Amino acid sequence: MFESVTTLRFRNLADAATGVGARRVFLVGENGQGKTNFLDSVYSLCYGTSFRGGADSDAARHGGEEWSLAGDTRSGPEEPPSRVSVTYRAGRKTAALDGKAVGDRKAMIERNPAVVFCPSDMEFARGEPERRRFFLDQTASLVSPGYLDSLRAYRKVLRMRNQSLKERRLDVLEVLDEQLAEYGTILRDRRAEILGLFDPVFADRYESVSRLGIRVGLEYRPSWKPGSRPEDVAAALRTRRADELALGVTLSGPHRDRFRFTCESGDFSAFASTGQLRLLALTLRIAQAGFCAERTGKEPLLLLDDVLLELDPDKRRRFMEGLPPHEQAFFTFLPGEPYEAYADGSTMVYWVTDGRLTDTDRR
Amino acid sequence: MKALEDLVGLLSRLPGIGRKSATRIAFHLLKADESYARALAERIQTLRGSVRFCSVCGSYAETDPCPICSSPGRDRSLLCVVEQPQDVLTVEASREYRGLYHVLGGLLSPLDGVGPESLRIDRLAERVRGGEVREVVLATNPTVEGDTTALYIRKVLENAGVAVTRLATGIPVGGDLEYADKLTLARSLRGRVKL
Repeated sequence: MFESVTTLRFRNLADAATGVGARRVFLVGENGQGKTNFLDSVYSLCYGTSFRGGADSDAARHGGEEWSLAGDTRSGPEEPPSRVSVTYRAGRKTAALDGKAVGDRKAMIERNPAVVFCPSDMEFARGEPERRRFFLDQTASLVSPGYLDSLRAYRKVLRMRNQSLKERRLDVLEVLDEQLAEYGTILRDRRAEILGLFDPVFADRYESVSRLGIRVGLEYRPSWKPGSRPEDVAAALRTRRADELALGVTLSGPHRDRFRFTCESGDFSAFASTGQLRLLALTLRIAQAGFCAERTGKEPLLLLDDVLLELDPDKRRRFMEGLPPHEQAFFTFLPGEPYEAYADGSTMVYWVTDGRLTDTDRR
Repeated sequence: MKALEDLVGLLSRLPGIGRKSATRIAFHLLKADESYARALAERIQTLRGSVRFCSVCGSYAETDPCPICSSPGRDRSLLCVVEQPQDVLTVEASREYRGLYHVLGGLLSPLDGVGPESLRIDRLAERVRGGEVREVVLATNPTVEGDTTALYIRKVLENAGVAVTRLATGIPVGGDLEYADKLTLARSLRGRVKL
């Protein structure tokens, strides 16, 4: 759990150390005041990277070139405090845990897993295959650190192979076929396995909030035939050599895998309403957090950015009641929302104005 | 102090040396015995003149061929392929290997524009065709580029009538299974040995 977050020259946030040592922290304010930026500072302290995308330099306050964040965490009342920091200076970003530089961001993911709910999650539901792959890769990385190694290796071989296709390096391509097939089949099998475990968690959650009365699940459609061996895949790649050389890109593999939401009548997202799609995206995140807690035994941190805004009152209530197990949760609200109804005695409520967080008692 | 600043500038270009360390080294040299500073300067100056590439294996040596290539005590049927000259020293330090070496001078990396023609792979094929070699041990790093290079060499040598082997990869001695990544574990399982 984060006990305090210090921001320096980060986005529009004021330079300050803010106490956040509560299980639920509410950030209330008008649009453009810095609520999402504060969530992003917490996310950056968990993963060393922003959930808003863009270059690291973009996170510097207007006119600045560097920024830094620090968070004091404690995993239990009896546990010693720990400090995580992320600094961007002279074009380079560095992360440190208790003063020691972090070489690989994987170490941060394992330490403070976080799940962010934001409006752009709708992209998972709407159907962009790349965004759906991103979601599954993220879920798999949360529960299986080794997955990230396989993904990184696959992506590197893919880039090398695409470059060799463009340069028509036939001798090198033969070798890269083997490597792509080896790393790619590991990814394909792992994705199938993880989706098989994730699907029932997701389907139960969706039904409990939507009350649609039909089972909506997730289906994996790998680009390569399920169960095919690396040598079969490499042979199949060789048969498509002419097409790939003509286009200069790799036409099959886990980077072309698809996932779809299915129900009895087929592809659910093809006929779902906007409200149902929004709930689908939200449920993916809830299921992701629950799945992470169940598989790793570590409750994640939840960052919920304007998620209740577009749900009807009944679904809001069910959503809040059905939140997955979490160590700590940060919510953003607009002033008109009934946020008081979701708070309990220990909830910290901050008013956010022009990048400054003020305790609501003192506003 | 221009002389000091110039030296700090040069030292900070060395690998692993930042400006702070470079400044510390420069002040240390100022404080040190004059004979030490002179000896260091002389050694640096003579290094490039006295050390060259061995025309056979491609490693650094003061003689050509290098002592390893010209030693009658080495097993000429074994050839260990490494990426850089410093890898020869690393393998030698294990004292497990008594064969010869071949330094590639890099790894295949299409993204950096390094193709087979940039490496000493043709020369390796020539050495193997020479007839004495029975086994080629590929000792490239277990990275994506190291694997690509090893697979490429295996392909080049597939009809050369020699055994092509690769250093085993797996759990490091004193390591922990819990922290091994999936690829390492998968490879360790494939390369398991009978007790």
